[in-house]
Amino acid sequence: MKKIYLIDDQPISNFITKKLLELEGFNGVVQDFTDPTEAFQKVTEDDDALIFLDLNMPVMNGWDFLEAIKDKNISHQIIILTSSTSKIDKDKAKEYPCVIKYMVKPMNKKKFSELSEYLKAC
Amino acid sequence: MSNLAQNSPQLYRITYEAYSKFANDVNRCSSLEEIAEVCKTHLKYLINFRLIRMTIFQNKKFYFFEQYGNKVWVDLKGETETFAFENSLLESGVPLLTNQIPDKLLRKKVELDKLYDPVLWGWCFDKNDRKIIVSLVADQEKTFSVGDIEILKLMVDSVQSKFSEIFLKKQLAKQNRDLVEAYDTIKLQNDEIQRIVENQKQIIDERTAEIVQKNKKLLHVLALNAHSIREPLSRIQGITQLFEMVDEETRREDLIPKLESTVEEMDDVLKEVVDMASKELTNLKSAES
Repeated sequence: MKKIYLIDDQPISNFITKKLLELEGFNGVVQDFTDPTEAFQKVTEDDDALIFLDLNMPVMNGWDFLEAIKDKNISHQIIILTSSTSKIDKDKAKEYPCVIKYMVKPMNKKKFSELSEYLKAC
Repeated sequence: MSNLAQNSPQLYRITYEAYSKFANDVNRCSSLEEIAEVCKTHLKYLINFRLIRMTIFQNKKFYFFEQYGNKVWVDLKGETETFAFENSLLESGVPLLTNQIPDKLLRKKVELDKLYDPVLWGWCFDKNDRKIIVSLVADQEKTFSVGDIEILKLMVDSVQSKFSEIFLKKQLAKQNRDLVEAYDTIKLQNDEIQRIVENQKQIIDERTAEIVQKNKKLLHVLALNAHSIREPLSRIQGITQLFEMVDEETRREDLIPKLESTVEEMDDVLKEVVDMASKELTNLKSAES
């Protein structure tokens, strides 16, 4: 069974995603991080996980995280979950093959249902 | 000439030839000095005189030529004062014949005791509004008579037209020089204007670059601000989404405190944005003044 990692410096954001996962009926392992560096350590030990990644974070932002993943050549599926509506960010995300989805916060049930196929695979 | 007086045709021929030579030579002159030189050589063949003086009135100034024997005196700079009898000639135009000769006219040129019954003739010729006063001193040895006036008039005409021509040429040359000077001045000023325009252009370019730079910075700040506001807002929206999906206890214990802290966070962010904008505005105002 696939693991799900939530990486967002705001604990409330992780809380919301977790709640929505619960409501979606997902009962697998969900691990959340507010420190991207720590999260990166963890995901290097694993592979083929589903990661919800925020972009604007201190010390190591979402882009740094994606670069690090790319350098290590680890195969995870990454869903970007950000409050940035900027087209620049959206286009930049397409440059990373591991990014399977770019979602703009706030998340809601309707948006979450778009993810059901990925969640089923978990 | 007295021996020729009986032979009028011969006298006229000689006089005509002398005049023609004089007129030709005057015509070839290119300066006032040269006219004076021609007069010095030729006048004595045209008329009898002890002393002749031509005062030419041109452009509010008097220029004069005087000849006694082989000596000439000229003032081509127009600094000479006129005699009283010349002034009255200029005013009245009535020819003069007198034995009252002003001392000053003869002084240092002719000694009175060398003259025999000298008389002073005076005329004011006026041609095309150009006046010339001719004074002539004759005596028993060098006699002058009314019959000689015709040839004198011709001589004066010739001298005066040449004088005017040279005078006009000089004026033209001066005006030409003035024009060249004016042209140079205009060119210099034009260069100066060009330089100022270039300078202005450079300043405008610099200012424009500065403004573009500031604009970029402003847009960047704007995007950053919008983003930092949107982040807590999206959390608030996320939490309210959950409201209908959870039970009363979770709502009260979990969601409401999270909502409150996030709202507060958003308020802080807005305060920061307002603060920053005010500071930038103050900086801008102090930079302007």
